[in-house]
Order: sequence, then C-alpha cells, then structure tokens
Amino acid sequence: MEATQAPAAGSPTLLLEQVVKTYVMGDTEVRALRGVSLTIGRNEYVAIMGPSGSGKSTLMNMIGCLDTPTSGSYLLEGLPVGKMSDDELADIRNRKIGFVFQTFNLLPRADVLHNVELPLVYAGEPRASRRKRALEAIERVGLADRAHHKPNELSGGQRQRVAIARALVGNPSIILADEPTGNLDSRTGEEIMRMFDELYSSGQTIILVTHEDDIAAHARRTVRLRDGLIESDVTNGARRRPAAAATAPGP
Amino acid sequence: MKLGLDIAESARISLSALMANKGRGALTALGIIIGIVAVITTMTAANGLANNFKETFSVIGADVVYVSRMPWIIRGPDEFARFNRRPQIELDDGERLAQALRGRAVVNPYVGTRELVRYGSKTLDAMQITGTTDKMVVMSGTLPETGRFLMPFDLQYRRAVAVIGWEIKERLFENRDPIGEKIRVGNRDFRVVGVMAKEGQGVFGGTSTDVEVYIPVTTFAKIFGGRQRGFDVDLAIKGMSPDTLADLEYEVIGEFRKIRSLRPGEDDNFSINKLDTLVTAYNNIMGVVVGVGLMVTGIALFVGGVGVMNIMFVSVTERTREIGIRKAIGARRRSVLMQFMFEAGVICLFGGLVGIVVAWLVTLLINATLMPASLSPAIAVAAIGIALVVGMLAGIAPAWKGARQDPIEALRYE
Repeated sequence: MEATQAPAAGSPTLLLEQVVKTYVMGDTEVRALRGVSLTIGRNEYVAIMGPSGSGKSTLMNMIGCLDTPTSGSYLLEGLPVGKMSDDELADIRNRKIGFVFQTFNLLPRADVLHNVELPLVYAGEPRASRRKRALEAIERVGLADRAHHKPNELSGGQRQRVAIARALVGNPSIILADEPTGNLDSRTGEEIMRMFDELYSSGQTIILVTHEDDIAAHARRTVRLRDGLIESDVTNGARRRPAAAATAPGP
Repeated sequence: MKLGLDIAESARISLSALMANKGRGALTALGIIIGIVAVITTMTAANGLANNFKETFSVIGADVVYVSRMPWIIRGPDEFARFNRRPQIELDDGERLAQALRGRAVVNPYVGTRELVRYGSKTLDAMQITGTTDKMVVMSGTLPETGRFLMPFDLQYRRAVAVIGWEIKERLFENRDPIGEKIRVGNRDFRVVGVMAKEGQGVFGGTSTDVEVYIPVTTFAKIFGGRQRGFDVDLAIKGMSPDTLADLEYEVIGEFRKIRSLRPGEDDNFSINKLDTLVTAYNNIMGVVVGVGLMVTGIALFVGGVGVMNIMFVSVTERTREIGIRKAIGARRRSVLMQFMFEAGVICLFGGLVGIVVAWLVTLLINATLMPASLSPAIAVAAIGIALVVGMLAGIAPAWKGARQDPIEALRYE
C-alpha cells in the first residue's frame, strides 16, 4: 500500500464533493447526507456541529472511513475512499485516522501500553519499535507512570488521554474526535481540550464532532450541519464576535 | 511478517479472553476432552487387539502355506457340507508332496486330538495331542527348553515318545525332571523326551505350545487313526528359498492337484490356508468394530465441537464492541477472524492435550487389566490434529460472523 505517501504540497487533507448518503430503513429511505462538499487542509482545527439528525454522525463516519458515500466523492490525501473494499478501508483508518470516542473505547482487558500500540500491531510494525512509539505517545499524554494499568484502574480523563495516545501513535493525517468530553466533567473536559489545542499547535489536523459551543470554540473553524446539508462554515475568529454570529458568513 | 504479528496478537488476545473466563473455557473443553479420550481409547484398543492377534497367531507363520481338507474360515452349513465331501488328506499325500517339492520346500504333516494325560496320580483332561514330525521345528522355529524334539527315527519306528508343553510339565511334574519319565496319553504310555519353552497365552486364546503334547505323527496314526473316520492330516509347507508366498502357494496347488489327479478345469478338492486368510477375516471383523467405535467417538467429538461453536458465538457477541474498536483502528477481517479462530483452537488444543493425558491413564488401566496396550505417539499426534481440526471447524462460523461486523454497528453495540 502506498498509503503513507505524503500528499502533494497544497492539496487538501480531505476533500468531499457532493457527498450523499442514503440509508434504507424498512421501507423508507433516509437521506442522511444530501450533498455535502467540504475541504479541510493540513493543520486545520475544525469543529463539526449540528443537532441530532443533522447528519453529523454520518459525516463523521464518512470522514473516518468507517462508511462510504452513496454518491459523490471523498478524497483523503488524494486517495479515493469511496471505492475501497472493507480491508482497504481498514488500512486507511489504520494509517490516516486517529479516533477519539466519547466513550473512550479502550480494550478493557488490555493495559495502557497494549491499547496504545494496537494500531501499530495492525500496521505490522515490529515489536520493538512499536513499543518505543507507544511509550512515546503515552508519555506525550502524561501517563508514563500508568503504562501497565488496565483501563478500569484509570479515571475518565486518564482513559481519554490513553485514547488520544492511541489516536496519535500511528502519526495519522487526521485526529477525529467524536464528543471527546461528553463523558467527562467540565474541568477534566477542559484538560482534554487543552491537549487537543497543543496537538493542533504542533501541526496536527484535528476534526471535532460536538454539540457544545464552548468545546467547538477551541477549534479555528466551525462547520454546522442541518438536515444533511452544510448550514454554515465559518472561521472562529468571526464567530467570536457575537454580532457576526447572527449574520450570514462571508464577505 | 504481518501474519506473524497477527498470530502473536491473536494469541495474546485469545489467551487473555480465555483467562478471563476460565470456568467457561474449561467446561467447553470438557466436551473435546471426552471426544479425544474416546478417539484415542478406541484407536489404542484396536491397535492392541491387532498386535495381540498377530502375536497369538504368529505360530501359524506368515511364510507358511497350509494344505487342508477344509478352509479355516467356513461361511455357513452349506459350505461345510460341500467341503465335508472332499477326500481326506492322508499321510501318504504329505509324503508325495514332500517328494514333489524336495529341495524347494519342507512339508510337515500334523494332526490333533484331545486326550486325557496322566502321570502317577495326576491327570489332565482333554489336553491337545498333536501328531507331528521333526519338521515342525523348521516351521515354527521353536525348540524344546530341555531335552530334545521329535527326531526322524522316532517317526520311522513309530516310537512312543512325547515332547510336552511347559504348563503340562508344571502341572504333572512340578519341580521334578520329566525327561525319561513315562506319561499316559489316552491308554498308551509315552516317554517324555523334551519340554517346550513357556509361551504364554494371548487374548484370542488360540494354540499355545504350553498345553500341548507332541508325539510322532506316525505313532499318532497307529494309535488314534483307527478310531476316527479314516485319518485326516493337515500339511504345513514352508519354502526354502525366499520366494514369495504367492509363488509357493502356486507351486503347492499345482503339485497337489497332480497328487489328486485333478484334470484342468476341475475344482480343487482341498484348501490352501495361510495366516493372510485369518488376517483378512480379522481385519474385516475389526474394521466393522473399529468403524462403529469411531462413529460413536465421532459423535462425541461432534457434540464437543458444537459446544465450542456455541461458546464462540457467545464470545463473539460479547465482544462485538471490541471488534468495533479493533476494526475502527485498522484491524482487517483476517485479523478478527484469526483472533477468534485462535481462541477456538486454543480451547480444542487444551482439550486435546488433557484428553491425551486422560487417555494415557486409561491405557495404563487397560494394560494392567485387559491386555497389553500402549498409547502410540502417532495416535497422540493424530488426536492433537483432530482436536485442532474440530477447533477450526467449530470456530470458523463464529469467527466469520465477527470478522464481517460493520464497525459502525459494532461500536454502537451496548
């Protein structure tokens, strides 16, 4: 797989064009996405917001290569994700996406180190370098002393930091965080968000899916979805001015 | 490289999953253990019986062809009636056959009956009395432990001499030296000239030299011949050159047909017997017995396998979310498939290993009570192989169910 090649300079990290996703539920067809076009470049920090039913989750699954569009195209670093097989998608997720979930989604029986090195296991990385990289990632999230603890021996905030370490370890193109503070108290949530901010500062591309404004406020750009379409797409410099938020974006 | 890592991760995960559910794993393995014990015991018993059979009938000699009036295996009364009309084989026939095969084969005529054997005040009922010749030593290769065997002059002069089996010696003479003593066989006195070495008895009974009395066949004819309807002997023929048994058989048939003056096209009015005939009959019978045994054990294994499959379905369902996580971070179908196949394999391998240990104990018990038996390494290896195959077969459907989970659905699973 040539998936690890760096994208051509200037090409966007992800490029969605007229993406439509339709589900068939019983007799009715649900159009979760009705033509979404979105471009996100390298080292952007984007929040995707929207009420439930807006297609937010579907878009996240699409970006995360867990799902493929019914029509339209999705290029991740120039690779056409829409036409890939299950196993090819697994490889793409493995190399290009770092997931952070609301419910942490750590393997309960595996210790921190094992959880963090798991993406590298599936990438086929040899044991020694896998271990080294996993320990580096664990150190980066400040859990070096917890490497051999099981998830149930950790606090919620610590678990989420393990998840972040796991997302980071493969050096992905995008970190995709789905309500990363949803299961945390607000103080711990803030800690986690500061961690994302630091990752962004060090050059990481981050996409946050959230419905909380103060979480979205950490991002530099906010994309709002409604009824399967992008309702607004603004840089947060503008949104921070309360007056501008009420008016339509653009010049 | 990648496959190796997959295997290592599969091992790590399946072992930790099994350790988290030790009781369940052990109970599931129990089904496999029972199946494997059944398979090994059946195979070991069949092996033991076969060895025993060979040992018991080794007296017959694999390289000896027998000419008799009747075949050793007769299927039903009709066949018996037909064979019973055949002319008897006389001592003279044996003489002529020996002449015809001179330099090529040794011919030993023999005949048996049961008679009372007495020494002093001790009597033994219905002992096997065999009339034979000095050639018997060539056929079986067994020699007396003490004294000598029958000699040509014993036959020529129809001497009343006997070579007795080890057990007969024990029971009649205890610690005394029997050589030169007179024993009574039927209503004649015989002088003991030799004692055969102890042979022992197999499971199948059969003939053992231990309880036989050997006398010259000529003497036998003189004493017992008149009492029976004529005098019918069997001829044992052993080739002197290392030709194949088939060649010897062919020659014997040709020569004996000449002796009997049979015309071409006429059926043989005698039978050719050999160890092979018995072995074939044995194999036919044992084939059925072992077949039925293996079928029953197969059912035991099948039930065990279904148990494993069942528990694997439970395991896959329980770990739907784990599958979702693994797939989200890049596990391919193959990796998930292997993980669960490995788990099923480990359960069955464990079952197989425990099964071998249990079967080994059962074998020791059989060996101590029923018959000589030992667990052969080949059977143990086969059992492990069978256990693994059962594991793979039982694991494939649940593992495949896990492998093709949609990661989105799986992650949503509570």
